[in-house]
Amino acid sequence: MHTESDEDLVKRIASGDRLAMKVLFSRHQVRVYRFVLRLVRDETLAEDVISDVFMDLWRQADRFEARASVSTWLLAIARNKAWSLLRKRRDAELDEDYAESLEDESDGPEIVLQKQDKGLAIRACLQRLSAEHREVIDLVYYHETSVEEVARIVGIPENTVKTRLFHARKKLGEMLKAAGIDRGWP
Amino acid sequence: MSDSIASDPKRRELEELLPFYANGRIADADKRRVEAALAADAELAARLDLIRDDMAETVLLNESLGAPSHRALEKLMAEIETAAGPAPLLARATDGMGRGFLGWLGSLLAGQPPRRLAYAGVAAAALIAFQGVAITSLALREGGGYQTASAPGARASERYVLLSFAPDAKAGDIASFFKRFDASVVDGPRANGFFKVRVGDASLSAAQVDAIAARMKSETAIVSFVAPSP
Repeated sequence: MHTESDEDLVKRIASGDRLAMKVLFSRHQVRVYRFVLRLVRDETLAEDVISDVFMDLWRQADRFEARASVSTWLLAIARNKAWSLLRKRRDAELDEDYAESLEDESDGPEIVLQKQDKGLAIRACLQRLSAEHREVIDLVYYHETSVEEVARIVGIPENTVKTRLFHARKKLGEMLKAAGIDRGWP
Repeated sequence: MSDSIASDPKRRELEELLPFYANGRIADADKRRVEAALAADAELAARLDLIRDDMAETVLLNESLGAPSHRALEKLMAEIETAAGPAPLLARATDGMGRGFLGWLGSLLAGQPPRRLAYAGVAAAALIAFQGVAITSLALREGGGYQTASAPGARASERYVLLSFAPDAKAGDIASFFKRFDASVVDGPRANGFFKVRVGDASLSAAQVDAIAARMKSETAIVSFVAPSP
């Protein structure tokens, strides 16, 4: 059975093949959408962003260089668009106190803890991390990206990727501890 | 509480590799170093357990976010239709003198007598009209105008199956599959990757829809799941 690679699809897209565009969209839309939704926290905005991301791909397909995977390329475009939106909404300050003060529909970690569900408490804290920490956690834990790929998507040096992830994990542990779950670190 | 790992540069460097060890995206040499350290350092191993817990919850959290509605694809395809697509290859192609294909065509036509140009024009118009009819009959199943692969909605007077495509299915094979079965997508992809597909009108019996679904299912190179759907 032959698998048509993402790179082959991008070549077809570069020649104006709409069907290839639909196939590539179907293949990547869910992950790109979730990545954006975790940043912008608005489903309609996230859908608009992914349409824009794939429109960029349509326009720039002939400039795609196979140095990065298509998936990394899409996430990098999506990340730029999501952060641009965040900046416009003035949500983007990398001030964790500000990020934590954002309204969230889910239960807070303290309330979740009362329900005696550690998993739910972790997820509640994951929701409350700053956007900067959320994206690096999501990229590594959910999108299964390497150090190099995170660096390319976020636009930071590889060492900064590791340091930022360390601080995101530490922050998550501190939030859990504040909610009454001491995991021994930090 | 002091963090003995953070205060030891060597252990800290290994600790920062743990998330990539856990997600499987680590270089072989680093993987071996991490595994050797984990075998000898219980504190580091405990840190890996925390990472795995957080990773599992991050996956659950992301999976709970669902999928975009078909509006996203429809918006994209509508924009593609309205925007100028990538320049066709013929337009980008140049001859040896640096002229584009259209420039070359212009100079060729300029050298032709008017009567020959008129005959060529009539023949080209006929060909374009024929292609237009053929393409329209293939692409537009109901009425005129642009439609994406997912039509606006399902109707009770039609019969449907729910299907998912094989991960390795080629776009061209999917297109010919739809043509062979005279089928069209009315909804999807949904969160789980399923599409709702119209396979005929209400005159089809349940047994006939079952038979169509079975025939579709036999095309394992293209579909991975097919079942009749209300």
